[in-house]
Amino acid sequence: MPTVQVSTMTPVAVMVGANRIVQAAGIIHPLGNADLAPEDEKALRRRIVEQALHALRTEVTRPTVFTTG
Amino acid sequence: MPRYTTAAMRLELRWSDVEEVAAAAATWLVGARLEVDLDALRALLAADARLGAVRLDLVHPGERVRIGRVFDVIAPRARLDGEDFPGVLGAVARAGDGRTLALAGVAVVATDQQTDNVGTLAVIDMAGPTAALSAFGSTHNLVISAWPAPGAGRSDYLAAVRLAALKAAVHLARAAGEREPDRVEVFALPPSPRVPAECAHLPRVAYVFQIHSHQRPTGLDEGILYGDPVRRMLPTIVHPNEVLDGAVLRGFMGRSVTTWAIQNHPVIRALYARHGRALWFAGVVVTVAQATEPERVRSAFLAAGLVAHALGADGAVLTKIGGGAPHVDMAQAAAQCEALGVKTTVVVEDMSTDGSAEGMLLFDLPGVDAMVNVGSSQEPLTLPPMDRVVGADDLVPRLQGQTRATYGTLCGAIEQVGATRVMAEVR
Amino acid sequence: MDARPLRVVCYVNQYFGTLGGEDRAGLGPQAMEGAVGSARAVQQALGEAGTVVATLACGDNYAAEQPERAVAELVRLVAAAGPDLVIAGPAFLAGRYGVACGALCAAVQAELKIPAVTGMHAENPGVELYRRQVHIVSTGGEAARMGDEARRLVALGLTLARGETPGAPAVEGYFPRGVTRNVVTAASAAERATAMLLDKLAGRPFASEVPRPAFPAVPAPRLVKTLEGATIALVTDGGLVPRGNPDGVEPLNATRYGAYSIEGKTGLDAAQYDNPHRGYDTSWVKQDPHRLVPVDVARELEQQGAIGKLHETVYSTVGVATTLAHSARMGREIADKLREAGVDAVILTST
Repeated sequence: MPTVQVSTMTPVAVMVGANRIVQAAGIIHPLGNADLAPEDEKALRRRIVEQALHALRTEVTRPTVFTTG
Repeated sequence: MPRYTTAAMRLELRWSDVEEVAAAAATWLVGARLEVDLDALRALLAADARLGAVRLDLVHPGERVRIGRVFDVIAPRARLDGEDFPGVLGAVARAGDGRTLALAGVAVVATDQQTDNVGTLAVIDMAGPTAALSAFGSTHNLVISAWPAPGAGRSDYLAAVRLAALKAAVHLARAAGEREPDRVEVFALPPSPRVPAECAHLPRVAYVFQIHSHQRPTGLDEGILYGDPVRRMLPTIVHPNEVLDGAVLRGFMGRSVTTWAIQNHPVIRALYARHGRALWFAGVVVTVAQATEPERVRSAFLAAGLVAHALGADGAVLTKIGGGAPHVDMAQAAAQCEALGVKTTVVVEDMSTDGSAEGMLLFDLPGVDAMVNVGSSQEPLTLPPMDRVVGADDLVPRLQGQTRATYGTLCGAIEQVGATRVMAEVR
Repeated sequence: MDARPLRVVCYVNQYFGTLGGEDRAGLGPQAMEGAVGSARAVQQALGEAGTVVATLACGDNYAAEQPERAVAELVRLVAAAGPDLVIAGPAFLAGRYGVACGALCAAVQAELKIPAVTGMHAENPGVELYRRQVHIVSTGGEAARMGDEARRLVALGLTLARGETPGAPAVEGYFPRGVTRNVVTAASAAERATAMLLDKLAGRPFASEVPRPAFPAVPAPRLVKTLEGATIALVTDGGLVPRGNPDGVEPLNATRYGAYSIEGKTGLDAAQYDNPHRGYDTSWVKQDPHRLVPVDVARELEQQGAIGKLHETVYSTVGVATTLAHSARMGREIADKLREAGVDAVILTST
C-alpha cells in the first residue's frame, strides 16, 4: 500500500526509510500557516495534499523528497 | 606594521567561595558565610505586579530535601562594569568585557507554581545518590516560589519568575562587594583572526550553540539573546565571553538545560582550557532550531558558512537544545560544515525511549560521525525518600516518598550543553 | 546474600558432553548428574563459588531440526534441576550448538527468570540471533583455551546471578546487546566532545558514543489503481484526538492510537478535537485541526473526483519519544486495518 509521509523533518523520514516524502509547512502546523489569510492557508494545504497525491502516483525505488514549490 | 586598535574582550570572573548560607538581618558575605536578608529580598522580588505571593527557602547540601517544580537555575553574578543580564534585567548593552562578581557554591532556583503539567517540571535532590548526579545537589540553593498575580497570563508569569531569579542572582553576588575574591578567572580572546605566529599551527575550533528550538515558539517576553526572543534569528557570531556573562538565557521550555549551565558554559570552558595550547578558539556561532524546512536548511548553511568562511575554523563542536527535532537542525549544520571541510563533533541526547541502541539517533548525515551523548533522559530513575519538599507544597504527597522518575526529571543530571557527566553507554 | 554455594546447570552438545561425534547429533535432550565434559571446566572455574548440579546435553541436529521442541524439553530439565544460574557452551564456532545455546539461555531467562550466560565466537550465527537478549561472552574459534574462557563465562554468570549489572561489553568481554544504559563518566560531555574533535582533526582514531542507525530499506509499492479510482486514508502521528481523548493516547511514549470516523464530515470542527502531543506547541493545530489532518481539502478532492474515495476513518497517534518497537507495531496494526478496509494508499501527516 503506497504511503506518502508529509513531514517537516524530512531527513528523519529519509533515515527511517519512508519512500515518498512531501515537505510540510512546519512542525507546529504541517498543513497550514496561521500567518496567512484563511483562503490562502487552505490553498497552501491543497497544494501540499496535491503534491502528496502526485507522490503517491509516482514510482520510486528509494526515499524521495517531493518539495512543494 | 600598522597599529591595529580593535580591543580584545577580557572577562574577569571574580569568584568568592561560599561554604555556608544563612538568613540574617542584612545581605553580605562574611568569610565563606553568605548572610541573606530574606525579607528585603522578598520585598524586592514581590514588587513585580505580575507576581502575587513570593516565598524564599534556603536549602543546603546534605539536607534530606527535594526541591520540586523546578523551572530554571541561575548562577549568582553581578557585573561591576556593565549591565546585569542585559536586555532582560539591565538595559541592552554588550556583556563579556570587564569584571563580574561570582559566587561559587550557591545557586538560585526558580520554581513554577502555575503549570498543571507538572510532568514537564524537574526536581533537585539535596542528599543521596541523586544529589550526586546534579551540580545543584551540592550547591546551597535559594529557592524562589512565586505565585502569579490574579490575571497574569502564562507567558507573563514565566517572564516574571525568571526576572525574579535574575534579580536574586544579582542581589546575592553583590554581597561580595569590594572584598578580594578568592580566585580570579580570566577569559581573554583577541579578535578571531589575530593569531600570534607561535599559535598559527594550532587547529582553529568554533562552537555552534543552538540557543532555542522553535518547536515551541517564544513568547514576546521570552528574551533569550540580549533580551531578544530570537523569533526570526539567523545564525550570528558572538564572543564566548558574552555567553558566560549573561547575554544568553535559557527560554521557557526548560527541557534538560539550565541558565546556570549556560553561564558556566562547559563547551566554552573546555575550548578556553585548550586555547593557545591544543587549539585556537575561533569563536561562537549561535543558532536556533527552526520549525520549517526552508528555515532549517537556510540556518544550517549560514551557520556553516560563518564557521568556515568568517571564523575560518578547521573544526567545530555543536550542541542542541529542546527535544527531538532540533537534533536534525544541529546535524544539518554539522553536515554543511563537513561539506566545507570543517571537522565536527556533535553532542546528542540518547533519544531511545526503551533503551534500544537502534533508537538512539534521529539523523544519519554524511560526515556527522563523531558523536558524544548526554545520556538518556527517559531512563527510569528512583528518587529516594526525603524528609521535606520545598517549592511544591501541592506535590508533597507525590514527591516526598520514594518516587519513580526519569533522569530527565532530575534537574542538572542531563544538561544538553554538555555539562553533564551522565552518558548513555551501549551495552 | 546467603553464603550457600550457587547451583549451576550447564548445557553442552553431544560432542562437548562426550556422548559422541556427528553420528550422535540426533540425540534428544538428557540430564546428567554433576559436571560432565566441558562442564568440568566450568566447575573448575567456579571453585568454591558454586556447584554444577547437572549437565544437560542435546545433539546438534536434534536441536537444529526441531528447535522449539528441543528448547521446551531443555527448559523443563533446567526447571527440574532448580539452578541459580545456567551456563551454556561455550560453543566457539559451532553454529548449531551456538544457536541452541542462545535459544536456551533466552528461554530460561524469559520463562524461568533464571540468569543465563553463554559464550561463542563473533562469527557464530548464535551471536547475531541472540546477543540482544542474552549475555554472550566472546570466545575464540576453537576449544584451545577452554579453561580461560570458562573462567570468563563464570565471572559474568556470577555477576548476573548476584543480580548485579555487568560492566561495559568491552570490559567484561561480551557482545554488545544493543541496549543503552546511563552511566556516570569522569569527563563531562563537553570535555569529551572537545577531545574527540581534536582526535578527528589530527586524523587519530576516535570512538563515537552513538552507533549510526541502520534502518533496512523498505520496498516502495506502486499505486495499482488510478487516483480517480483509489481509496485514500489519512493517518497522523501529530496527536489529533476527539475532545476527552477517549482512547487515552499518551502525550509522549505513545503505545496507543485511535481510529476516528469522519463519515459525513466535510471538515473537522475544532471544538470537537483536542491534542495531547507534548513534542511541539499544539496551539495552532488545536485552533484548526486541518493544519494537521487535511480532511477539508481531501473531501473536496473526493467530491471533485480527483480521488476515488476518502477513507472514512482517520488513524491518529502521538509521535514523540515513541519507541521504535511500538511505532512499528502500531504501523503494522494500522496498515492491516487499512488493507482489510480496502484502502489503496495513505497520506501520513507528521509534525
